[in-house]
Parts: sequence; C-alpha cells; structure tokens
Amino acid sequence: MICKKCASPMAVILRKKDHYCENCFILSTNHKFRACIGKNKVLSPNENVLICLSGGVGSAVLLDLVHHGISLENNKKLRIVPHFIHLFDDNVPEVSDAILKKCQKYNFDIYFVHLSDYLNNNTQLPEVNQIVALKEDDKIKFTRLLNCMPSTAANDYLLKVKRHLFIKYAKQLNCSAIFTAETTNTLAINLLCNLAIGRGSQVQNDVGFCDVRDEKVKILRPMKDISKEELDYYVKIKKLVSITRTNVKSNSLQSAISSFVSDLQQNFQSTISTVCKTADKIGDYEEDKASGKCVICKSALFTKDMKLSALEATNISKTVSLGNMNFQQDLENNSELLNILENNSNNSMFPLINKYLCYGCSRNHSEMSKPELLQIG
Amino acid sequence: MPVPCRRDCGKNAVLKRPKTGDALCKECFFWAFETEIHYTITKAQLFNKGDSVAIGASGGKDSTVLAYVLKTLNKRYNYGLNLLLLSIDEGITGYRDDSLETVKQNRDDYEMPLKILSYKDLYGWTMDEIVAQIGRKNNCTFCGVFRRQALDRGAAMLDVKCIATGHNADDIAETVLMNVLRGDIARLKRCTSISTGSEGTIPRVKPLKYTYEKEIVMYAHYKKLVYFSTECVFAPNAYRGHARALLKDMEKIRPSCIMDIIYSGETMSVKEQVSLPTQRICSRCKFVSSQEVCKACVLLEGLNKGLPKLGIGKSSKAKKMLEEYNSKQINNESELEVAVKDLNNVSDVTVDKSKGLCRNKKNTNKENDVDKCNKNNCCGGTCKSNAKNVDPAVSNKKLNMLLEQYGLEEQTTVNHPNNQDKEKVNGSHTPENSDDEEPAQNGDDEDDTCSSACGRLGSLQIGF
Ligand SMILES: [Zn+2]
Ligand SMILES: [Zn+2]
Ligand SMILES: [Zn+2]
Ligand SMILES: [Zn+2]
Ligand SMILES: [Zn+2]
Repeated sequence: MICKKCASPMAVILRKKDHYCENCFILSTNHKFRACIGKNKVLSPNENVLICLSGGVGSAVLLDLVHHGISLENNKKLRIVPHFIHLFDDNVPEVSDAILKKCQKYNFDIYFVHLSDYLNNNTQLPEVNQIVALKEDDKIKFTRLLNCMPSTAANDYLLKVKRHLFIKYAKQLNCSAIFTAETTNTLAINLLCNLAIGRGSQVQNDVGFCDVRDEKVKILRPMKDISKEELDYYVKIKKLVSITRTNVKSNSLQSAISSFVSDLQQNFQSTISTVCKTADKIGDYEEDKASGKCVICKSALFTKDMKLSALEATNISKTVSLGNMNFQQDLENNSELLNILENNSNNSMFPLINKYLCYGCSRNHSEMSKPELLQIG
Repeated sequence: MPVPCRRDCGKNAVLKRPKTGDALCKECFFWAFETEIHYTITKAQLFNKGDSVAIGASGGKDSTVLAYVLKTLNKRYNYGLNLLLLSIDEGITGYRDDSLETVKQNRDDYEMPLKILSYKDLYGWTMDEIVAQIGRKNNCTFCGVFRRQALDRGAAMLDVKCIATGHNADDIAETVLMNVLRGDIARLKRCTSISTGSEGTIPRVKPLKYTYEKEIVMYAHYKKLVYFSTECVFAPNAYRGHARALLKDMEKIRPSCIMDIIYSGETMSVKEQVSLPTQRICSRCKFVSSQEVCKACVLLEGLNKGLPKLGIGKSSKAKKMLEEYNSKQINNESELEVAVKDLNNVSDVTVDKSKGLCRNKKNTNKENDVDKCNKNNCCGGTCKSNAKNVDPAVSNKKLNMLLEQYGLEEQTTVNHPNNQDKEKVNGSHTPENSDDEEPAQNGDDEDDTCSSACGRLGSLQIGF
C-alpha cells in the first residue's frame, strides 16, 4: 500500500480507505487547520489569540499546530500572538503539571485558572506558569453549586462556566479571539447535546466555527474539520503526550450521546461528517430581534413568535398535574380555558425564562435542588 | 404505602406520569392527559368550528387514542367538529384483516363514521395486482410511495377540511434526531410543525404532538381501549433505528429531553443561504410533491402504460404511431427506472448500517428470522418483517414493565381475564401504521420506506 499523494509507503489509513504516508498526513492536517482559519477570514495579522488547553488529545495537537504555524518563516507563517490558558479543578492535579511541562518544551507561557474563579468577580491575571489554587471559600461554593444539579445539567453548566472564564481572561489579555480544540467528533456530540437540552437555537454559536455572542471576543474552533481518527494518528506520529480524562459526568445525556457517537465512529464516520455539515446549515443569528441575553450562557433570549411551543406545553403539563379539583371545575364550566391555564403561572416550570435565562439554562435551573445558589432574579 | 394524588383530589395515586413525574390517580391522569391535548388543539388553532376532520386510523394505539380523545373533547368543549375515521387498505390479501377489524371496533365504540379506502379506490390498483404486474423486485417501492400519498388522496375524496394523525412527541423528537443524522435540513426544518400543508392541499395536524408515547399506552390501558398492536417488526430505515435507540437511552436519563428536542426543532432556524427544496404541487394529481410530477404519478403511469403489446400495422401512419408510442414508452420506462432507482438510493445507503448501533432492532430481528412474511403480501414473500399480530403475552410483558415503572397501584389490572379479551394487545412500542411511520409531512416528504405493509426498505433491505 502506498500514499495516495506521493507514492511513499503508507503509514496512515483514514476512513478505512485513504492511505497516506506520515509526511503527507501531517501536511494535510496542518492544511486543514490553516484552511479553516483562512477561509473564515476572522483574524487580522498579529492578533492576540487566547489558546485554551485542556490537556487532552485535541489540545495537544492544537498546541503543536500553533507552534508549527508560528515557527514558519515563509509566507505561510501563522500570524498570531498566542497566549495560553488552562482551566483546572482539584480532581486531577497531574493534568496541570503535564500541561506546564509541555508548554515549557515549546517555550510558551501559560496561565492556570481554577474553575471556581467563575464565582470571583475580581479579574486579576495570575502569574504565568504558576498553578495557584483559589480561595477555599469559592471552591466550596462552586462544588456545592455543581453538586446540586443532576449530571446532565452539571455537564452543560460547566461548559458555560468555561466559556465565561475564557472570555474573561481573553479580555484581560487583550485577545480578540480564542482558539478551542473541538474536533469533528466533539462537534457532532455537541450538536446532538444541544438539541437534546433545548438549545437548538444556539447551535451556530455552540457548534459552528465561530461563537460571536460576545461583542469583543470571538471563540473560534479551527480544528472543526479534523476528526478524532486523524488526531490519534497525529499524536502517534509526532509522539505527543496527552492526558485523556473524561470530564463528562456519567449517566447524563452528554455521556449517552458521546457513546452513541463513538459507536457511530466505528462504522459510520460519514454520518459524523454529515451531522457536522448539518450544523453548518443551522442558525442565523438574529441578534437584533433579541430582547436580551441569558445571564448564564449569553445567548439571545428567544422571542420568536410562536402560537405554541414545547415551552408552553411543558408549563401546561405542570399546571394540569398540580391543579386542584376546584380548578378542574373552573375549567369545565368556563370557556376561557386558555386564560385560566396560562394565568396560573405560579406553577410555571421556568419562572426566569426569557427574562434572565434561556430555555436550556431554565431547564437546568428547574432541576437544581438549590436554585438559589445561582443567585439570579 | 399509598401515595396521595398530587392534585389533592383525595384519592390515591395509581401512576407516576412519565412526562412530569407527578403521582396521579386514574381520573386526574385522564383529565390531565385530555386537557393537555385540548390546550394544544385550541392554542394552535388546529380546527375550526364545523370542520370535517378525518382521523387517519390504523387501529394502532396512537390513532385509537387520538380518535377517542377527539371524540371526548369535541363533546366536552363543543368543538363542533364532524369527525370521521379514515383507513387505508392496500389490498394485500390477508394483511389488513386484523387491524381493519380493530378500526371497525373503534367505529362502533366511538360511534364515528369509518371510511376504508383501498388502493383500488385511490389508484386503480391493489398491491396484489401491482405485484402481479411488476414482479417481486420493486413492489416495495410502490407500496411505500403510494402509502405516503394515500391519506391525502383519501381525504380529498372525502372532502374533509383536515387530516388528524396520531404522531406523538416521541415520534417527533425521533424524527428531529433522524434528520440530523442523515443531514436532511429541509425535513429538519419542517418536522416539528404541528400543522403542515401548502396552499391548495388538505392540511395534516398532530394533536398528540406533545403527548408522550408512554402516556398514550397508559391512557389506552387504563381506559381499556381496544387497539391492534404489531410487534415492532417493521424495520425503520437505519437512521430512524439509530435515532430511536438514542432517544430511548436519553429518555431514561432525562425524560424531559423529548420536549426539549421538540423545542430545539421549533426554535432552530436554517441559514438563509441554504437553499431548501421547495414543495410544490404535482401537475397531474395536485398533491404535494417535490417534483413537477410526483413519484406516485410516475409509478402509476408506468403501471398503466406498461405492458400491452400493440398489433403492428405496416402503414406509414401506424409506423409513426408506433415510433411515437415507443419513444413515449422509453420515456416512461426511463422515468420509471429513475424513480425506482431514486427511491432505492435511500435504502442503498442504509442497508448494512443496521449493524452495531441499532440495539432494539437486533432483538426484533431474531424474531423475524423466522420468515413471517405472508406469501401474498406486497413483497411476494421475500420480505422478512411482515406485520403480524403478536402473541398477547409478549406485549403484555411490555405493558407490565411500563406499569412496574410508573404504576403505583398495588395490583394492576393487566392480567384480568376480561381485560385481556378486550385489549387485543398492548404493546408499548408500536410504530403502527402509515400515520405513524411517517413523522414527516406530506406526500412526497416522507420516508421512502415501505413500513406499513412489509417493513422493508425498498427492495434492498436485507433483513435487520
Ligand atoms: Zn505521501
Ligand atoms: Zn442560557
Ligand atoms: Zn386525583
Ligand atoms: Zn412492501
Ligand atoms: Zn401526482
């Protein structure tokens, strides 16, 4: 078997049919990364970019791709000024150490920020290359917050927390863009997760190339055309170190979807790219029509005019399951049924919806055992 | 320990609502279930006073519950609707007997007029005749395409204002996932709308859009409604199979995901620059089509002009006629071939993909390894998954599992002998019929599968 590009001996087989030698494969992965940034034309030369490293395979490859790009001296040089950040918690301390070592190898500085910094309004940059823990207070509060939600809500909430922190530190570092390392596979998972938790209208920002919810800082996903399969080869060929740890809580929609997608990957890689192509066609951000932003995920609060949606239907389910017998009599004698049902809003499933929270965040909120911890409304 | 009904009616709860988790007594559950549907109907303005409404009736649980609830609400809230049941008979010897019996039972129980329209009435051909004409190879293409349009044609013949189908919340959520998996952006956009139909066509509405399948099964059970259940023997296309398996897994973890997926579909928009195939009306039959001439018409033309051999005259005039005929014939044939090929493409993609992911399917398969296919059905006996009446014991097991999970009553009534007589079958997972396997909308917009009559995917399905 030989490389389909240069006829050297084959080292890589993609999608069970495309053969490449190591060299051509690495070139093509670099090309995908650069093409993704290039064709979307969102970066101006020498922009400050915050690059988010989780320690996983994706971020190991992203780090290498960026390093390679900015080391070039020809017209293909990647013209960005990279800054690096890693968000950590106390569960797996060795991840932070490994990332620090790796960055030192590439001669990059990196900031370490604890997740519980989310609760901290103070935005002071930590010292570079220092893994400093935060106040115990914040940590305890943050853990309590996460623990009062079922795993699906907690997984989702954590994503929003990370997004918030990335943007907060990007601003601090004068970055107008952020790179995150989601691959095709991750994005397919995220698309299905978004649908499953009622975030269909947020797909473009959560799954597309560019999250534009913040006016100043764009979050970009330059590895969106690279598959998990390609990553694994890349890491193997370049002998990169990565620490794989799953930070998705089990028994959640996210874990169910991600095992579904990895099953798909075994046999139907094409389905995964189909799913991602679908994602590219979804959305058209109607910022001007929005009445405000969700305080948690910063998505536009949805006010599309609909006679009836699953939101009203959910509220009615609650209302009719709780109403007392008098209420039933009222309904049966009264032709103004709709009004009665709808004005019975103290039964609303989502008291904060469209005022403070979007549908997805409201759903999470409704499942919290101590919703007051969010301090909203 | 008895749990009091959540609605403070003084009675003890008999079940936990699968949708909300609230413990309710039987009467309060009925009331909540019906009131939600009433709310959906009024809020979405599905009907107008005085409308004639055809209920697509297959004898399955969804359409049976729909018919019962519509009749109840029509009376309770004075909708002023003229309700009638509409069933389609493909004309496959022996195939519809049981389900049509059930529909007739519904007619008598609910005192609603029933119209059974056959393929012969609608298209001039029965499936048996089509099999005789076309052979066994492509007949599933026919039954799939014809079935998709049958309700529309039937409704037009009956001159009704709209068609109500039994699609439930699970069907719709599943369809959203399926359309994402197969990248069908046009259907993804349409599949969550409660009412569909373009100018000049008879709209289809889904009053059970927000109703959970599990609650439909429980409602039918506690109301002792008679329905016909086919075991899940029909093979959905692979994408639907995957979507269904995923949805079932997710529902266990977070039951609200069904509503949340529907909400996602409802609020999702498609980028403007994406061009969606426009839906239009077939120039021949005037039903919804994505092409100038709909697939049903193309197939019909092929059937109608298919085989007669012309006596060949020697005059130049006859020769000219013959040439014309031949060229027309070639056109028809190629049109037909293209259509058939087109239809089979869908199955091409999906054959083989049933492995691995579709856990539910695998089990049903085993049962289907025994060739249940009636020699006389549309597939001429080649198809593995023929809808058949099920062993009631098997289906009762399913219901029992549901009751075990959600029932709070100390003893359930399932095994009561009288009951068993009445409930022909109570399966919990029943993609029963045309109206059910087609969560997409109109005519051409459906799955190109032949699930009603034989459950095969076109002619290429190799048995799940
Ligand atoms: Zn090569
Ligand atoms: Zn939100
Ligand atoms: Zn009660
Ligand atoms: Zn068939
Ligand atoms: Zn037509």
